[in-house]
Amino acid sequence: MSIESRAMEKRAAQAEGGLGSRIYNFLKAIPTWVLWGIVVLWTIPTFGLLVNSFRPRDGQRSSGWWTVFTGNSEGGLTLDNYKSVLESGTTDSLADALLNSLAIAIPATIIPIAIAAFAAYAFAWIPFKGRELLFIATVSLLAIPLQVALIPLLTTYSGGAHWTIPFLDKTVTFFPDFSLSGSVTAVWLTHTGFGLPFAIFLLHNYISGLPKDLFESARIDGADHFTIFWRLVVPLAVPVLAAFAIFQFLWTWNDYLIAVTMIGGNGPAFPVTVKIASQAGAFGQNEHLLTAGAFISAFVPLIVFFSLQRFFVRGILAGSVKG
Amino acid sequence: MDRIISTLISIVAAVGGSAGIFIGANKLFDLARNRFDVFGAVAGSLLGFLAGLLMWANRVVTFVEGPIVGAPEPTGFTAAIDFVLMVVANTIVPTAIAGIGGWLITRVAEGEQQKKLILSVGTLGLLGLVFGVFYEEALRAEFDIAALLLWTAIGLAVGAALWAQRGRKRPIAGYLALGGGSGWLLGSLVAPTLGTGNAGWTIVSATVGFAAIGAWIGLRDVADYEARDGISRKSRVYVFLAPALLFIFASLVLPAARTVWLSFLGLDETLDFADRAAGGVDKFVGMDNYKAVFDDPKNFNVENWADVFTSQLTYVSVGLIVLGVIAGVVLGRSRGLKFERSGSSLAPLTLGVFLLSFSIFAVLRGTVFNNLWWVVAVVSLATSLGLAIAVLADRAKMENVAKSLIFMPMAISFVGAGIIWRFVYAARDTSQDQTGVLNSVWVALGQLSNSGWPKTLAALILATIVIGLLYLGWRGYKGQAMGVAIGSAVAALPFLWVLVRLLTIGIGGFSIADDGTVIAETILVRETSPFNNLFLMIVLIWIQTGFTMVIFSAAIKAVPAELVEASKVDGATESQTFWRVTIPQIAPTIGVVITTLIVLVMKVFDIVKVMTNGNFDTQVLANAMFTTAFSNFNFGEGSALAVLIFLSVLPVMYINIRRMQKEAA
Repeated sequence: MSIESRAMEKRAAQAEGGLGSRIYNFLKAIPTWVLWGIVVLWTIPTFGLLVNSFRPRDGQRSSGWWTVFTGNSEGGLTLDNYKSVLESGTTDSLADALLNSLAIAIPATIIPIAIAAFAAYAFAWIPFKGRELLFIATVSLLAIPLQVALIPLLTTYSGGAHWTIPFLDKTVTFFPDFSLSGSVTAVWLTHTGFGLPFAIFLLHNYISGLPKDLFESARIDGADHFTIFWRLVVPLAVPVLAAFAIFQFLWTWNDYLIAVTMIGGNGPAFPVTVKIASQAGAFGQNEHLLTAGAFISAFVPLIVFFSLQRFFVRGILAGSVKG
Repeated sequence: MDRIISTLISIVAAVGGSAGIFIGANKLFDLARNRFDVFGAVAGSLLGFLAGLLMWANRVVTFVEGPIVGAPEPTGFTAAIDFVLMVVANTIVPTAIAGIGGWLITRVAEGEQQKKLILSVGTLGLLGLVFGVFYEEALRAEFDIAALLLWTAIGLAVGAALWAQRGRKRPIAGYLALGGGSGWLLGSLVAPTLGTGNAGWTIVSATVGFAAIGAWIGLRDVADYEARDGISRKSRVYVFLAPALLFIFASLVLPAARTVWLSFLGLDETLDFADRAAGGVDKFVGMDNYKAVFDDPKNFNVENWADVFTSQLTYVSVGLIVLGVIAGVVLGRSRGLKFERSGSSLAPLTLGVFLLSFSIFAVLRGTVFNNLWWVVAVVSLATSLGLAIAVLADRAKMENVAKSLIFMPMAISFVGAGIIWRFVYAARDTSQDQTGVLNSVWVALGQLSNSGWPKTLAALILATIVIGLLYLGWRGYKGQAMGVAIGSAVAALPFLWVLVRLLTIGIGGFSIADDGTVIAETILVRETSPFNNLFLMIVLIWIQTGFTMVIFSAAIKAVPAELVEASKVDGATESQTFWRVTIPQIAPTIGVVITTLIVLVMKVFDIVKVMTNGNFDTQVLANAMFTTAFSNFNFGEGSALAVLIFLSVLPVMYINIRRMQKEAA
């Protein structure tokens, strides 16, 4: 529409001719005004929440956030919401939840990177029988939505994995019941498994693109695969490792489905997303604290976003295919 | 503070442990070339440890009854120490035997086949003897000659088959020893009735079985330097791939396969959750779960289909489609085309189709249709909005600031976005001020409709816009610029509609009481079906528009400048350049964006969960799956829903993966 109207206005202005270039200029600026209108519209929800997070309970409940600017806001501005949300020990405290989120996001970022880098290197530079087929099979797993694996994973974490030998009817335990369900360990283990096909795919693209001569000369110098991987591939692959790390960190930090499935009702192990969602479902006295909570949960991703935007965009673009 | 420390410890342990295993495995196989005896000792003790762990963890062999530290209620640190000590105590004997045996086999027997055979049989036999002695009493198997002969025969046959399949290069005796030994163990210790056997037979059978497997190791060729180098080299593939493939297999492939199996199992009401969680005990019901999904009116409800023909939305959308077709044909005639593709024909056409889908989805209800509605609405709106913003921003000042602000929601979690929009949508009792932006504006519009001069002022402004646009259209008509004519006419329509409504029944949230006073009315965003779905979709559109905008922005900047210049030189209007040069150039990117979004939207979960939890007719597949499986513990039907999600994204994912592989190649 906008292009259409821009063309329209231009013609109209030219047709008017002498009526003056001022009208024409005004009309020409309309697309920019539309753009900034959209920007404002897009920012208002977040901005409103930000303002509300600095208003006391009574203020939030009696009037809209915009009253802050007209001066009618009850109770003015305060940091109390953030204080009570960050103070540890209370039921609404996010302090523990933030730690849990970190305890999930850090291993769930580092471990897949390491494991996937080994595998990507093997797929790219160690020749073996059936390599192509195995690689295609691994990448095809990207198509599996994580919902499909959730139920058996949860039963494995809560009751172990057992296999009844056919014809003998005797059961063998492969994975004992460590009562992992309800723990952050179950969450990052799940993230690690789900993140791997994508990580292998992304890292393989990059590592297989490194110049062949490099590997040949290293082999002539007597380096084995381990040395080549450690001394050559890891330093060279830093950009793609960073892009994946950022993507995976944000993915695990912002994840809700896996966390809420694996942790269930175990409150002390809630990461921020689950904690906030459970508070939002409670409709309690402390709904006003949700504003500060939502902002704190968004704080880490926003820092990553504004400081590492280049990597972030690259990660998001590449990660758009994750299952 | 405790939490921070324990968190840090577990992170360090997890990361350090995995790094240690990887480096250790590499170093271990380095040893195979240079220090074969050390390699034998380490590999032997690792295998012995694994065997002991498997036996102990399955409660087959117990050397030491736990707990060892012996605190009455072990907690935290004590429990961890206890666990480690118990693992060590129950595996130290097999670890030691196999470790020493491995060292002897590789060192003492170096180069001598006979010594190797004796040492291997001795080591494994000793291991079997130890396992037999400490065998759990409750698991001792009864002597059963039929089972023993049957399984040993099967084992021998498998061994022979393996020998034939491997090209008959090595002597058959080794294969027979391996197969026969394994068959013997199964036939004597596993297959018969358990619990009534005696100690002597258990010890004999374990020793014999293990010794036979030892013979297999002993009969293999003694490793020369070349073979050792081969072990070192060939093992690298496994060392590099095993962690990833194991993880993927255990946490993705196996569970997915199991979900498919579970989807054919029904809820057995006599079993409690613990039984079902133990797995595999529900009864087989075939396709019943899938039938149940589609039989449930909550999921699939087409009862009111006829209402499509009576809804205003249908008429409006059909009108728009007709308008678009007419515009295309009329414009095309002047240029000698059957159908002119331009903003003034395609815009009403797509808008019409889009609205028609809305009027259909508002009538066909249920989880399945909700999901489809999400796909249609979010994909089309996020894509077109993203494209529009990318075009608008392309030449604007401070382009990066605008794009950053629109992209920002991508960084926020879906849960956080849900909270943000909850405050936007908040509705309060109408006697008080509204605190949500949406209802505040809505109520204000209602007040405007019932006011005096502000209403007149608004009507005047609207009328000016309508007249202005119609004037433009008329000028276009006179000047033979049909695109401008139809474009401005279409643009005038919504303003005209608002104007007419304002002057007749009024706009905004209000109702008039019997005594003529005006009462404010709010939109109950979460509760009012079916359009509450739309309000939830807006949240996802708000998030995803940033994504589409960034991709389109990059694509538009990549359109060769010469193409745009050339079309301008040829006298194309900006509109024509956009529709005929830019759009075809970025068509592949549009495809990428659409497929990506379809997959994302099919799996939408968090937003619905946080905002309505599927109540008020807003259920979607992923949330239905979650509720069915994890709130009602009906794993069968939950799995069926999961499989449905999988099947519905499969074709799109196939296209996506093919494209990625092409790009990578």
